Amino acid sequence: MDKTTQQNINEIKNMAQQLDHVKLMELCGTHSQTIAKYNLKSLLPKNIELISGPGCPICVTDQQDIDIVIGLALNDIPIAIYGDALTLPGRQSTLEKAKQNGKNIFIVYSTEDALKLQKQYPKLVFFGIGFETTTPMTAWAIKQGLTVFSSHKLFPPAMETLLSNKDIQINGFINPGHVSAIIGSKIYNRFKFPQVITGFEPEDVIESIKLLIEMIINKNNKVINQYIRVVSEKGNQKALDLINEVFEIKDARWRGLGSIPLSGLKIKAKFKDNDAKFIYKDLITNIKKGFKPMENNCICGQILQGIKKSNDCPLFRKTCTPETPQGACMVSVEGACHINYKYS
Amino acid sequence: MIELEQGGGGFKNNELIKELRQIINLKKDWSNIEDDSAVYDLGNQKLVFTTDAFIIDPIFFPGGDIGKIAVCGTINDLAVMGAQPIGLSLSIVIEEGFPKKDLLKIANSINQISQETQIPIVTGDTKVIDKGKLDKIEVTTSGVGLADNIINNSGCQPGDNIITSGDLGEHGLALLAYRFDYQTKIKSDCQPLINEINSVKNYLTSAKDPTRGGLAANINEIAKKSKVKIILDEKKLPYKKEVVALTNLLGLDIFNLPSEGRFIASVGQENTESVLNKLKEYNKEAKIIGQVEMGEGVFLKTKFNSLRKIEMPRGKLIPRIC
Amino acid sequence: MCLAIPGKIKSISGHKAIIDYDGLEKEANVSLIDGQVDDYVIVHAGFAIEKLSKKDAAKTLKYFNNG
Repeated sequence: MDKTTQQNINEIKNMAQQLDHVKLMELCGTHSQTIAKYNLKSLLPKNIELISGPGCPICVTDQQDIDIVIGLALNDIPIAIYGDALTLPGRQSTLEKAKQNGKNIFIVYSTEDALKLQKQYPKLVFFGIGFETTTPMTAWAIKQGLTVFSSHKLFPPAMETLLSNKDIQINGFINPGHVSAIIGSKIYNRFKFPQVITGFEPEDVIESIKLLIEMIINKNNKVINQYIRVVSEKGNQKALDLINEVFEIKDARWRGLGSIPLSGLKIKAKFKDNDAKFIYKDLITNIKKGFKPMENNCICGQILQGIKKSNDCPLFRKTCTPETPQGACMVSVEGACHINYKYS
Repeated sequence: MIELEQGGGGFKNNELIKELRQIINLKKDWSNIEDDSAVYDLGNQKLVFTTDAFIIDPIFFPGGDIGKIAVCGTINDLAVMGAQPIGLSLSIVIEEGFPKKDLLKIANSINQISQETQIPIVTGDTKVIDKGKLDKIEVTTSGVGLADNIINNSGCQPGDNIITSGDLGEHGLALLAYRFDYQTKIKSDCQPLINEINSVKNYLTSAKDPTRGGLAANINEIAKKSKVKIILDEKKLPYKKEVVALTNLLGLDIFNLPSEGRFIASVGQENTESVLNKLKEYNKEAKIIGQVEMGEGVFLKTKFNSLRKIEMPRGKLIPRIC
Repeated sequence: MCLAIPGKIKSISGHKAIIDYDGLEKEANVSLIDGQVDDYVIVHAGFAIEKLSKKDAAKTLKYFNNG
């Protein structure tokens, strides 16, 4: 390991001796992956605990949205999705099952691919999932004519919810890297709480943990930008302008977290011809009539908030595995349970 | 209903095979039935027998085609057991309407490898199926070989080194780059390994070619069959930067990426240097990638010296790559 | 998927650019940034979302390739 990272680890170990038990939450699923891939937990003192947060947009997609999109697929509307959404559990089905039953479900890597597909399949609907990093791509494509079912969300409101939940005793946040590239670092100042915007290499994560512990010891509630090579104060204005042009903010339900005010993105009326929720209003109302929440003992919601761990879940490793996910935390490769399953 | 994943070479695939094996369970005097090839003791020599089906997509790829990979795959499965292939069979099922010039191209690829290795295709079958009932072409090859000594995958010992005959994952890279529209100079590593393995086979305590399931699947098999613990060193991983880049861009696990012209093996400490010197004559990237200890499981020693488990691949793997 | 590795812009044509990722090349949409040839960018879901300096790109790639 490089000298700086070794020094950082040494400093973490020294500082940790002054502290009781510290809980740091990494908000972004990709950080959870980095931590697991390098088994960074084994390098930290036992009283520094890392908890996975709700920063996996696939994981927090509302079950009703999934059921609606599956419903659209079953009504022969071609659907384009990002890969992870294929096995998202709806009440009784998944888009994968719909695909196996002959429905047109396409995996795309960008909204540009979706636009190309739309030429062949004019009724194509793109399932828009993602936070501020991915929303600009959808906004751009909507302006080019893509039809979209939006489940896009804003991330800072979820941070607000976590901070106001007394059951969660977190001492610091490892902030997402690429969401921050879009929204900028300034926006986090409204949370009076130790935060470090972090890059995705394990060296970045170790440095950020050191910076967080320093802040906690000095009772400093600041936002430090460790990922300055990519994240600026103001963020990406072009991307933010696109989001504002195409979307408006509304309340949204997050799987596991419940309703979070002003956290969802709805396509504006001026783009209603590209809004699947408008075009298929009646069909969606019909699909919603049959909606029931999934009944199992999945505790993803509490895991996403860091209240419980995967091992606390009665389904983990038994009925809930990467092949048979019962909840969203297992579906995505960035879900806390999937990572725990794979790397522990 | 059978799922795609059950053909992927990982955990679910193995479960399906186990289930079928409980039904089709006659073994008689054959051994090594779960290895790359099965073995029949003739007394003064061992007969080695293997088969493989290929449904690769695309059928023509940078560095080869379905014919080349079908023949190399079976030759290599015999070679990693320590056998000299003496003959192959070739069965082809062709979709109606398949261009004849493409079929002839594939036949020429097969012939090229056959001539190069002096291993004849001695029997086979050709069928044509109605248009739409098969995606272009499917190729199955079987092979028989003779061996004085079998390289058993249960022969790996604590204290051995794990080596690779060259950089890994390039076949996977070539196909995925093609599929996802990335341009690269790297071609599939598909090639016959018979000469390379023959030059060192007496010193190998286990050997596999990391095709489907990549390094993860194959090193786990060795560890399980030999009942040892294997630790791979992150600083010595044999992957080119393009392969690293693509797996990161696509969100794939690099350890699952297949090679079609490389082998991994365990070698005793005392023989490692001479084995590597011999292998470097074929591929200068041959090297040590890990160590064998007492215990169980496969681990990666990260650049921070932390250990993390490398499991048998599970979850969605990459379809139709081998 | 947040993870993206830095790539270098090799050529630009309108809102599309060819990006070189350590020897792999693919097109990306550059309409979210003001990019020029030889700039390093982070690409996410087919779109460049931010630029980074050559020195910083080298830092990330060094971390990447060092283990």
